[in-house]
Amino acid sequence: MSRTRFIFTSAFAIILFVGLSACRDKHEGPAFKPTPYPFEIPFAFPNKLNIPTDNPLTVEGVALGRYLFYDGRLSGRTHADSLMSCSSCHIQSNNFEAGIDHPVFQGGYVHGLSGKQTTHVVLPLVNLVWNSSGYGWNGFIFTNNPITGQRSIEDIVRISVMAEDEMMGDTTRVKALFQQTTGYPALFQAAFGSSNITFRNIERAIAQFVRTLVSADSRFDQYLRGEIQLNQGELNGYVLFTTEEGADCFHCHGGGGNPLFTTHLFYNNGKDTVFDQDIADRYHITGDPMHKGAYKAPTLRNISRGGPFMHDGRFKTLDEVIDFYSHQVRLSPQVDPLMHHVLMGGVQLTDQEKSDLKAFILSLQDNNFLNNPAYGRPEKFPDQ
Amino acid sequence: MAKKQVLWFLVALGIGLTACNDNQKESPATGSITIHIRHTVDGNPLITDSLMYTNEAGNHYLINEIQWFISDISLVADDGSNIALDADNSAYYVDTDIPESMRIQAWMPVPAGHYKGIAFTFGLDEANNISNRFVNPPESFMFWPEYLGGGYHYMKLNGKWINEDGLKAPFNFHLGTGQIYTGSDRDILFDFGASNQYLHCEGFHPPQKLSPVVAFVPNYFRVNLTGTDASLIDGGNLEFIIEMQVENWFRTPNTYDHNVWGGSIMQQQDALKSASENGHDVFIVKPLN
Repeated sequence: MSRTRFIFTSAFAIILFVGLSACRDKHEGPAFKPTPYPFEIPFAFPNKLNIPTDNPLTVEGVALGRYLFYDGRLSGRTHADSLMSCSSCHIQSNNFEAGIDHPVFQGGYVHGLSGKQTTHVVLPLVNLVWNSSGYGWNGFIFTNNPITGQRSIEDIVRISVMAEDEMMGDTTRVKALFQQTTGYPALFQAAFGSSNITFRNIERAIAQFVRTLVSADSRFDQYLRGEIQLNQGELNGYVLFTTEEGADCFHCHGGGGNPLFTTHLFYNNGKDTVFDQDIADRYHITGDPMHKGAYKAPTLRNISRGGPFMHDGRFKTLDEVIDFYSHQVRLSPQVDPLMHHVLMGGVQLTDQEKSDLKAFILSLQDNNFLNNPAYGRPEKFPDQ
Repeated sequence: MAKKQVLWFLVALGIGLTACNDNQKESPATGSITIHIRHTVDGNPLITDSLMYTNEAGNHYLINEIQWFISDISLVADDGSNIALDADNSAYYVDTDIPESMRIQAWMPVPAGHYKGIAFTFGLDEANNISNRFVNPPESFMFWPEYLGGGYHYMKLNGKWINEDGLKAPFNFHLGTGQIYTGSDRDILFDFGASNQYLHCEGFHPPQKLSPVVAFVPNYFRVNLTGTDASLIDGGNLEFIIEMQVENWFRTPNTYDHNVWGGSIMQQQDALKSASENGHDVFIVKPLN
């Protein structure tokens, strides 16, 4: 009797297990196996990447993120006048900035769907996978931020969708809209194992795509790799860029040993002498009075394609920026010690030196990045 | 029969364990070393961004940050032999803004024994000072431009001083490889001695902006500190403090005057040499209490 009961119980358990397994397969579809994204570290670039462990790069996630990055329905609306996405302000050919020649936002000064002027000039979305020092002009988005929801590129997506001076959207409406849109649920299934679209997965997909935007093939990169020689003007400019007695750019903006051409850190570069009215400088993040008037040193890669320049967009051309650092730097108690030419008003470049410096900075333009179809607008969206 | 097998098994096990213990006893006694870096001015912990210090030349100054490399650390045994604390070419980045960078845990076991001193290289010697050795921040941010000799800054000590006009002027006390220049239009070595640095400070543009460099000069130095008088026991951990006495960078044998050298010295080998020579008594070592 005992032996019979054992056999019966075992058979029941096996049948139950098989049945449940079949049931699970039927409801969850094929096994979720996203493809790891083949990320290559360019020559001399950092090999430490800022990729959250809970959002690794996958081919499927990046592909989905690219659609969402460019899809105007990210605003949660479908009317032609109300479409807005990341790409509305981050134009690939303009270094993923707005750019002076933006077709809608005159002079590169952007505003949201509400019509409200965006409080900051657009920063480039370039090589952000190597930024571990905080995002934004004052670094208000950073990994260990005690304010949850302001820690990562994923969080920036949500902030941008909801901000009055950007998409002025509603996350519930956005995810519902994509849930209803043919093709998207399947892409979410492939990327995240569920066709049930969550806003978190929207954030994750766009963040994955943004982390793949790598600029590492400018003329200067090719020079570093020994593939080409720079011309004499560019070489002169390189020396000026990387010498204290020259233009002295390298401490904040990198060079051969830091090919990101930024430290992603924050400096008071001597633009102003009064800072009390400014609400978005580094001081408002750290509370350190010495950080008044300090802002992120952005990458100089492809810089001539972006603009306007500085956190408030006060300069429209690269020439104006070079003139500023040459002759218009102003002394204040907060000016960064690295601005040691401040008492002379700047680095005092001659016209020829300015020309050479500009030639070098232009050698940082990466046309393969600016035209890379993998980073560009999809030919059609999933429902087309 | 089964009992016999169990008995043999226990006997074998006992022999095995005993042999194992014997082996452990034969292995050399070792311990570990932890080094804590401290920065002081006039005997007190460094306070940044406060105009509260006066150097030997009488310059009133503040320090904003100090970032530097310490490399090739070794303990000096009583017989004078050096015991490396790490693998060859080891280097550590220290940053006053990064507390965790000021604690160095040597990963190699150190033989137990009595040690009378510690030695290290301030900065990076030629074998260690290789461009693109460090690709990740913050070390990569210390790169020293190729035109100036390549590799890395040994140290960035940034601050401000009250200059002769009473203005708070920035200075970058950046140490690394120096250069000897020649003029592009006349084949002479420029003298960047004190006689023309006043002009340099006042806006004189040194001709070396684009002048060819004819030679590079390493300015790192080896630091040998005695008096640790510490014993490392088997399995123990010995902790030292290496203290940078910042004021000594500006004291002896060369009175370093910011009004002479100005705000930037990466292209002034005389200033780099002067600073390097002053480094001989910048560091002290003491046990962690």
